[in-house]
Amino acid sequence: MKFKWAWVWIILGIVYFFLPLVATINFSLKAERGRYSFRAYQIVLQDPQFISSFTLSIQIALLTIVFSLLLIVPTVYWAHLRLPQVRPILEFIAFLPFVLPAVVLVFGLIRIYSGPPFALFNRAWGTNLIMVGAYMALALPYMYRSVDTGLRAIDVRTLTEAAQSLGASWPVILWRVIFPNLRTALLSGAFLTFAIVIGEYTIAAFLGRFTFGPYLALLVRNRAYEPAALSILSFAITWSIMGLIQWLTYRAPGSTQVAAGPR
Amino acid sequence: MPFLEIEHLHKQFGTLNAVADFNLQMHKGEFVSLLGSSGCGKTTALRMIAGFEAPTGGIIRLNGRDVSRVPANRRHIGMVFQSYALFPNMNVADNIGFGLKIKGQPAAAIQAKVHELLALIQLPDKGRSYPYQLSGGQQQRVALARALAIEPQVLLLDEPLSALDAKTRVELRQEIRDIQKKLNMTTIYVTHDQEEAMSLSDRVVVMNKGVIEQIGTPFAIYNYPKTAFTASFVGQLNVLPVTVTDGAAGECRFYDQPLKLKEAFAAANQSTATIALRPEELRLGQQDGHNHLTGIVENNTFLGAIIRLRLRVEQTTLLADLFNERQMVIPRDGETITINFPPHACWILDNQLN
Ligand SMILES: Nc1ncnc2c1ncn2[C@@H]1O[C@H](COP(=O)(O)OP(=O)(O)OP(=O)(O)O)[C@@H](O)[C@H]1O
Ligand SMILES: [Mg+2]
Repeated sequence: MKFKWAWVWIILGIVYFFLPLVATINFSLKAERGRYSFRAYQIVLQDPQFISSFTLSIQIALLTIVFSLLLIVPTVYWAHLRLPQVRPILEFIAFLPFVLPAVVLVFGLIRIYSGPPFALFNRAWGTNLIMVGAYMALALPYMYRSVDTGLRAIDVRTLTEAAQSLGASWPVILWRVIFPNLRTALLSGAFLTFAIVIGEYTIAAFLGRFTFGPYLALLVRNRAYEPAALSILSFAITWSIMGLIQWLTYRAPGSTQVAAGPR
Repeated sequence: MPFLEIEHLHKQFGTLNAVADFNLQMHKGEFVSLLGSSGCGKTTALRMIAGFEAPTGGIIRLNGRDVSRVPANRRHIGMVFQSYALFPNMNVADNIGFGLKIKGQPAAAIQAKVHELLALIQLPDKGRSYPYQLSGGQQQRVALARALAIEPQVLLLDEPLSALDAKTRVELRQEIRDIQKKLNMTTIYVTHDQEEAMSLSDRVVVMNKGVIEQIGTPFAIYNYPKTAFTASFVGQLNVLPVTVTDGAAGECRFYDQPLKLKEAFAAANQSTATIALRPEELRLGQQDGHNHLTGIVENNTFLGAIIRLRLRVEQTTLLADLFNERQMVIPRDGETITINFPPHACWILDNQLN
């Protein structure tokens, strides 16, 4: 009996997750009356606005990831190594963005940076910089969690000391010992950040940058089939990235196992 | 000139003196163990020598040079940890070659050195394995090879065998000692296992509550312990509270049973003292010129080569380790027996046991 019920739940779960997806795919293929076609996909992919907004979003996402990693990994590493008493404080700070709505954040940023002494909104790069900063804040909880979990899984202190006794300086330790052993954690943090930045609307819209979020909103307002096609595209991209992470993780021997401790 | 000199090394954590006035001189190629119970400051002393912990005071001189302020990565001191601490992302060969690689040595030289070390630790085919594919003992061998690869001036090992099973522990400790002798590597070995310390070391440093109790060869530590702590920590020890009857003649009594020591001692008549005695010095029966004690057998344990008797003599419990012989009649529990020991076997403890 138990066995049968398990199947019922599994099927229910599949229906719950996949029915909307199937429906969306179905709808996205109906742009031409009376037959299935990739018309909607064609339109989207050929739209210069799609290409420019998507490229901008990807650039900003990558910058956000790089700066987040450079800021967060050494900080959390140092806290693990030398200042364990600071970790609760870091954790608290890392969760602040959850209680701070994006609208509030963006108005705060606009107020501070529209006039002297930090008039950054006069230039496109200035605005982009602020956007990267804002996204770093939004992604902080996810990035922090990933890095923290990754560091917990390895014996940070002993590995650091082992490397030190072999002559490694701090940059060498970070680059050759800490980063590689955090590979999975960093990839998942980076992926979450990527997903947040790609889909973000509020901040981009208020800062007047035409990234993927505002583009999608515009499309939803004006078109019927194209937004569905775009959703499916996003899904495909997301899943390929996840697949990529899985593959990289699997390929890296040792990184899935924690061999630092006695067994 | 000593190769490694440690003078007045001191470490304070808050109000706790983790290590106090630590003095040690080692010559090149010597193997010294730090022995003591948990929390006595062994690891702290070792970490200061390695450079992971800044001393509160004192000097560490290596080959004549004061290194106490030199950062760990420039001290050229190898370290082996209890938890192995191999880099999980690197295979065995890369682990061993790590120190040479970051020094910028050419790939061919690194490969040759790794090859040589893999042979030394008897894992010639494991170069491509990852740490998680190795047993604990194999991982610790790799950790040893990794530390030796940089040809350190001093090798430090912090309880390297405590995570391993008993059999591997005994095998590997001998291997460590053999390698150490072969390379003439100056080595400090931390352990709380007295058997390990005794069997491996040229000299043993016995520590208690952050302070060195005694430094000496295993033979001296065992047979001529200077303090009550050393005497009781290393090996089994019987202690008897006695009343001095004639210190100049080395005579005292335990209740009304007279005892004689080989050496005279300075203590007023009728004062109390404590004498110490190893269990293996005790024999059954009477013997001329020896001390005798009469007591009741509480139990006996057959340990193969020896038979350990627990006796009650007056209010004190004594252990007697008797060599097993086939024709021997083992005293039964509850039996009253007489044991003897020579006057040179016992000595006066200068401070009371805690
Ligand atoms: N970072 C630290 N901060 C505060 N106290 C410490 C620190 N490190 C060690 N201590 C204290 O110093 C004392 C000595 O510790 P240490 O680790 O040197 O002992 P040990 O002899 O190595 O013990 P064990 O055999 O259990 O490893 C202990 O009381 C310990 O609590
Ligand atoms: Mg210790």
